[in-house]
Amino acid sequence: MTDTKTPEEIESIIESIRPCFQCGICASSCPVFRVAPEINPRHAIDEIVKTGVIEPDGTEWSCAYCLMCEQRCPMGVSLAHLLVAVKNISTEKGNAPEGLPEIIHSILSTGVIAQDSDLDKMREKYDLPPLKRPTAKEVRKVLELTGATDLLELYQSKGVGSD
Amino acid sequence: MKYAFFPGCTMAYRLPFVEKSIRLVAPHFNIELVDLPFTCCPEPNSVRSFSDETWLALAARNLALAEKSKLDVLTACTGCHESFMTAKHELDTHPDRKDAVNEVLGEIGMEYTGVSAVKHMHQVLFDDIGPEAIAEKVKRPLELRVVTHSGCHMLRPEAILQIDDCEAPVKFDGLVEVLGIEPLEYMDKTMCCGTGTRRANREASFAILREKMTSMKMVNPDAAVVFCPSCFISFESGQRIVNKTFGTDFKLPVYYYTELLAVALEIPGMVPIIKAHRVKGPVTASAPGVPGEGRPVEAKN
Repeated sequence: MTDTKTPEEIESIIESIRPCFQCGICASSCPVFRVAPEINPRHAIDEIVKTGVIEPDGTEWSCAYCLMCEQRCPMGVSLAHLLVAVKNISTEKGNAPEGLPEIIHSILSTGVIAQDSDLDKMREKYDLPPLKRPTAKEVRKVLELTGATDLLELYQSKGVGSD
Repeated sequence: MKYAFFPGCTMAYRLPFVEKSIRLVAPHFNIELVDLPFTCCPEPNSVRSFSDETWLALAARNLALAEKSKLDVLTACTGCHESFMTAKHELDTHPDRKDAVNEVLGEIGMEYTGVSAVKHMHQVLFDDIGPEAIAEKVKRPLELRVVTHSGCHMLRPEAILQIDDCEAPVKFDGLVEVLGIEPLEYMDKTMCCGTGTRRANREASFAILREKMTSMKMVNPDAAVVFCPSCFISFESGQRIVNKTFGTDFKLPVYYYTELLAVALEIPGMVPIIKAHRVKGPVTASAPGVPGEGRPVEAKN
């Protein structure tokens, strides 16, 4: 159970976006496109449909995951689904943004996204109970069995997301 | 009603005072909160982008934990809520993925069956308790003019979340109205706050926030009200960076809904919570009062 996409899976993703007729409502609804027009979901889809391959170029990480594109698509194309696939492929190629392996590392070591040891102290200030944490062993097991620890090692070997 | 409470990493470790307001409000509506050893939800925009399988398995583990205690999950963060609901949808509609996930969970002695529901605080307050029942408990109407920001993942994916109309939400405005607050209609109401791309494209993320806050400012609100800790931080801390970067002059106080609810219900213990806000607003512990009203809204401690 790892993330490597099979050619069949890639084909089915491409098949799912084929109904796109380039109306552009995705781009006009995209907050990122509004401020950074070089990032254009309509073009991204066109490129994949035309070439038949998914080749992440880095711009996929600029997606804010606000889901407005998919909400408004008149053809029901799930751009969110496509983007998850593109980002997963990009991650496997070692191109995830720097902070991302750090987050995986934080979850692996604490179960949560919080690296500062004083954080429970901040909770005490408001008379809040320290949150119960999962055991490190079970979190590691889930991450190992789903391929995240291997992926993390890929980044740690490049000096990112390490201790 | 008893729930497995899921504040989420952002609220628990960065906005504990907001979490406190939820815990203060809960007993007034017969909500009992149970803490369980949850992991990160996990955050969809980072963990799911890294590995779809890891995201699904960790989310299933958290849901399985609630199942074990025979509890539904109560979320306070829209990001966590979307993550759980999307994972639940994926698991409940794809038996092959559910089987694969349960193989992993079997290794840690757990199983996901899908019996626990997931509800956001917004849903419990509007759909279960209802604005009328909240109105009956209000002791001090706040008489503010605000803009509400539901947040992307309160509204979308609409078909899976089914909380409110994704293009023209009305429920959140209804919830603030019963506190004596006037919700203002504004342009770009359902637009993103920019948080989602802050890690990857910082410049664009703050430009998005500038656009959003420009639209908010057009109706001259006293404050922005949110139902998501990430949006809270985006607006409250982000506006200073927007001001520095783009030369704007935003100074908009931000509240999470239950903070205003607690003040309106005159629930004791709100002074340190309101004090924790970085952008001081009209609802303060030692405040002169609501602008234009001259009426103190100081929370009794």
